[in-house]
Amino acid sequence: MTALAIARAAFVRIGRDRTALFFIVVLPVAVIVIVGATVRGFSTFRVGVLDQGAGQAGHQLTAALEHAPDLQVSRYTSVAALTKAVARNEVSAGLVLPQQMDERLRRGDSVAVPVLAEQASSTQQAAVTAVSSIVADQGGIMQAARFASSRASGSVAQNVARAGALAPHVARVNVRTVQAESTHNTLPEGYSYSAPTQLVLFVFITSVAGGAAIIETKRLGMYERMAAAPVRTSTIIMGEALTYLGLAVVQSVLIVVVGAVGFGVSWGNPVAAFALVVLWSLVEASAGMLAGTVFRTPEQANAIGPSVGIALGMLGGCMWPLAIVSSTMRTVGHFTPQAWAVDAWTSLLARSGTIVSIAPQLAVLAAFAAGLLALATTRLRRVLA
Amino acid sequence: MRSALVIARKELRQRLRDRSAIVLGLVAPLGIAALMSFAFKGAETFHFTLGVVDADHGPVAAGLVQALRGPQLRQIVTTRPVADLGAARTAVRDRHAAAALVIPAGFSAALEGGRPEALSTVTSVNNTVAGSITASIASSFVAQLNADRLSVATALASGAPASQAPDLARSAAGLQIPEQVVRRPLGAHELKPVSYYSPGMAIFFLLFTIGFAARSFFVDRTQGMIERIRAAPVRPFEILAGKALSVFVYGVLSLTTIGVITSAAFGANWGTPWAAALLGLALVISVVCLTALVISVARTQRQAEGLSSILVFGLALVGGNFVFISAAPPFMRRLALATPNGWAMRGFTDLATIGGGIGTVWVPIAAILLISAVVAAIAAVLAPRAVTA
Repeated sequence: MTALAIARAAFVRIGRDRTALFFIVVLPVAVIVIVGATVRGFSTFRVGVLDQGAGQAGHQLTAALEHAPDLQVSRYTSVAALTKAVARNEVSAGLVLPQQMDERLRRGDSVAVPVLAEQASSTQQAAVTAVSSIVADQGGIMQAARFASSRASGSVAQNVARAGALAPHVARVNVRTVQAESTHNTLPEGYSYSAPTQLVLFVFITSVAGGAAIIETKRLGMYERMAAAPVRTSTIIMGEALTYLGLAVVQSVLIVVVGAVGFGVSWGNPVAAFALVVLWSLVEASAGMLAGTVFRTPEQANAIGPSVGIALGMLGGCMWPLAIVSSTMRTVGHFTPQAWAVDAWTSLLARSGTIVSIAPQLAVLAAFAAGLLALATTRLRRVLA
Repeated sequence: MRSALVIARKELRQRLRDRSAIVLGLVAPLGIAALMSFAFKGAETFHFTLGVVDADHGPVAAGLVQALRGPQLRQIVTTRPVADLGAARTAVRDRHAAAALVIPAGFSAALEGGRPEALSTVTSVNNTVAGSITASIASSFVAQLNADRLSVATALASGAPASQAPDLARSAAGLQIPEQVVRRPLGAHELKPVSYYSPGMAIFFLLFTIGFAARSFFVDRTQGMIERIRAAPVRPFEILAGKALSVFVYGVLSLTTIGVITSAAFGANWGTPWAAALLGLALVISVVCLTALVISVARTQRQAEGLSSILVFGLALVGGNFVFISAAPPFMRRLALATPNGWAMRGFTDLATIGGGIGTVWVPIAAILLISAVVAAIAAVLAPRAVTA
């Protein structure tokens, strides 16, 4: 009961602290929005298009590019703007549809469509490959019309219409896709990526920075005052643990609800997701308590805590999928609890995992929680002694 | 002015004695830049192994295989012969190849008939980019084959005698689609993650100075230090100038050290040194102005700490210090330019990619100084209250 009273008092204190509320509520949601809107680049190329007055052929080509599933097309109005966009990597390639492209093709000229991309950048060259295939596909009818006009009868314009009508009836060489592997090993893109990873990242940072509260309580002599009452040390520790655990659970649930309601994130199997949230909150609560005994001043906790949290988040795959880093970095990453939590979320969100399939990750997280909690309790006992 | 210098020196000494200042100004940004550089080592450039099954052994297949090994594609693809479709699936599943292309038996011969064979790409959901590039390469190749077939059909439909069909097919095989992409280099460098996140993290941790300096001001005030200083012939302006100068010097030291170390140790590209230095100076000025704003708006130490924390994370988030802002939707890119750090990130990105000197960074510098002037004006209106309160 006393432990609960301690936790309740701490909660009231946090509830009155507007800065704490900003970090617990507003910041994680803002980060989910921003990271979710940004982390979309793993399966599409961003392409810029500048139409300098290409006419009908230009419109058709732009429409074809916009329909391509692996391209994300933005339009630009000047060469300078397009060039800067490519240089800044806002787009991976910039296509310039030249003036009178349609007229020149109909006249029988060949038209070069310039694409701005750096030769040294393989990502940009890959985007060029994607664009080239669509440009080539568009040019087929024009080639056929011109060939027919030179070898048989009719104007190019007449034969464009004829080739267009014939195209659906001439058997084409197709490109088929065979899936060799259909099991995802990364989280889906967008908010389904940002919500679980930011849950893992932020709840940890909040807890570790929240270690400042223990330091402040100690500084104010509140532990001594508590000890003056008939309260056992273990009860005080239990009260602190409950505070940190409660805080972590509240923040996690908030992110889960905002993710599901606001951004349509499906968190997977509810039992498994619940177990994961609780275990992760335990890891964080323990880390937060440990931070409270390791740092000497609240400023240290506020400054070093987030830095450590960000670094561990990067190692553990909260900022980018570990699938894209080297195998050494992947191994190093799995020394952090974050990597195991992200792996478990990946299983739940990308592969419809259950509590059984994430059991190994849960076991590792439980071990992390037990280790950190034992360490934090021992140190806190020393602080209270 | 001497008093301001004395105050600045005392502030700096006090800051550098505090270990968290060293952590925030140096250890954390360098550590994170190092992590970035190790994490993306080898993943910065896009290159993949493509398994190729040539079951056709005909002339068209030979042309395709040759194109795959040509200079245009060598930069992104390395080919690797694979026996058959089954082996290709295994190679992709076991990550020996990122994707595979299968040219079926009889592909070349079937092109002359009415029922051509299809090419197959073998892909994995875990490497969609390699899969879509392989599909694009295959599509570009078959686009020409399809254009040739359509050319013959159109010529026959336009009145060419059917007896000429074989002759027409031979002529069409030499055609080239009249719309071709030509590559135009920009003369810009590729933006490596380490070149983006080195300034990104240096700036993020530089912003923490706002909180430290604001806090130190309120601690001084609570302890009666400001009143004691004012008892001496020191004007309020000099107290603020001293504090501001210490923030400025600390900021310049921190940015410079990180710039030099990340360039030398991790290969981060900060661009032309003096242009980067001017941009950094402008940014540090904006940090000084933001600190003054926090001091003038907050009434207590606690308010100052809260306000500066919110400001730091808000600015870093919106300005693009955490995420690669170029990949963000246009409205977020515009929003980033409402912050001084967003302009600084834009400037450092341009220096790392487009290069150049003052011509590249004068707009970001002017924008940062303009924002700083507005912030300073607000702070100046409210400042006397803070110092005399």
